[in-house]
Amino acid sequence: MSDSRVQAHVVRLLEGLGYPLTSVRRTLVTVYVAAVIYCLLVLSTFPTYSAQLLGADIAYFDEAILALTANTYQTAGAVGLGLVCGYAIMTGIAVTAAVGRVRVAGSQNARRLSAVLPGLLASGCASCGAGLLGLVGLAGALATLPFDGNLLRLAGLLLAGWLSRPPR
Amino acid sequence: MERPDSQTTRRAVLASLGTVTATGGVVYAGAQLDSGATETVRTSPTDGPRFHSSSESTGFGIDLDGHPVMGSMDAPLDMYYWSDYQCPFCRRFEENTFPTLIDDHVRSGTVRVIFIEFPYLGEGSITAAVMDRCIWRQVRSDEPRRYWQWHSTVYGRQGEKGSGWASKSNLLEITREVDGVDADTVDTCMQENRSEIESSIATDVERARRLGLRGSPAFIIYNRNADKAGKLVGAQPAARFDEAITTVENA
Repeated sequence: MSDSRVQAHVVRLLEGLGYPLTSVRRTLVTVYVAAVIYCLLVLSTFPTYSAQLLGADIAYFDEAILALTANTYQTAGAVGLGLVCGYAIMTGIAVTAAVGRVRVAGSQNARRLSAVLPGLLASGCASCGAGLLGLVGLAGALATLPFDGNLLRLAGLLLAGWLSRPPR
Repeated sequence: MERPDSQTTRRAVLASLGTVTATGGVVYAGAQLDSGATETVRTSPTDGPRFHSSSESTGFGIDLDGHPVMGSMDAPLDMYYWSDYQCPFCRRFEENTFPTLIDDHVRSGTVRVIFIEFPYLGEGSITAAVMDRCIWRQVRSDEPRRYWQWHSTVYGRQGEKGSGWASKSNLLEITREVDGVDADTVDTCMQENRSEIESSIATDVERARRLGLRGSPAFIIYNRNADKAGKLVGAQPAARFDEAITTVENA
C-alpha cells in the first residue's frame, strides 16, 4: 500500500473517531450504543447463566453485569476486558457514523449502509467468542487459543475500527 | 499529501482519550470487583458440615463412588455440583453463595451436595481434579471433613489461570498447609493412580456434557423421591438457589 493510501486511511479513521464529538446528540448516541454493546458482549460470555438470571428477574441485571465483568477480568485479564470495552466504543462510533450517513445521504444509501451490519456482527462474534463457543459445546475452547482468545478479540476491535471510517 | 485538519485531529484525540478513560475505568472496576470477592467471609472449614462417602448410584444416574457427599445422606434433595478449581466463577460461588446454602439447606438436612470435578480449563485443572480425588481417597474413611478444609483452602489460594498456581508442586505445597492431610501420600496416589483417575474424571465430564452443561459452576438439584430435577448454571445469588430448591422440593 502506498504512502498516500495509508495517509488517506489514517485521515478517514481520525474523521471517524472524531465524528461522535461533532454534536451532543451524536456523543450521547455513541455512549448509549457502546453501553448496550458492552452489556451484550459481557452477558454473552456466559449465555446460559445470563439467560437464567435475567429470565428469573430483570432486577438481576446489575448482578449479572458486575459478576461477568469480574469474570471476564479474571479469565481474559485487563487486556481482554479492555478489548471488549474498546470494541463496544468502536461499535458505538460505527453505528453513530452509519446513522449520520443515512440522515445525510437519505434512504437511497441505506442499502449500501446495510453492508455494515454483517461486519459488525462478525466483529462482535470475534470479540465475545467465549460464550458463543460454549453454547455450541466448546466450553473452554478460548482457553486453548493464544492469549486466551485476546487475539480474536483484537481482530474484532480492528474490524470495528475499519467499519467506523466514513466513506470517501 | 492528504492531511487531517486541526479540528478533526483535535476531535480524534478527544475521542481517543475518552475511549481510553472509559476502558480504563471499566478495567479498574473489574479489578476492584475481583479483589472484593476475595475479602468475602468464608465458612470456617474446621466447623464445616458432615461429609460421607458412598458407593451407591442415584436415581438421576450419578455414581457417588469417589465423590464427596456433604450433608445428611437422608436429605431428600441431591445437589450435584460440577466445578473446576481454576474457574474464577466457581470461586465466586464458593465465597459468596455456598456458605449461605450450607447454613440454610445443608445443615438443616434438606440438601446433600455431591462434588463432581469438571476440569475444562487446561492441564492445571486436570491436575487439581486428580489431586482432589486423591485427597478424598485419603480422608474419606477417618476424617472426611478434611476434604472440605483442603477444598476451601485451594479455592482460597486460586491464582490466575495458566500462571502455574495449579501445578502439581504448588498444589502439594498448599496441601502441606492443611492439617490432617499427608501431602506425600497424595503425591504417591497421583503417581500411581493418575491415569485411572483421569479416566474416571473424563467419564464424569462426558456425562456433564450429555446433560447440557457447558461451563462451571453448574448444578442439578434432584428430588430423589419425586424423580424431578432442575438445573442452575453459574455463580447465581443464594436467592436463586432458594427458589430452585423450593421448586424441586415441591415437585
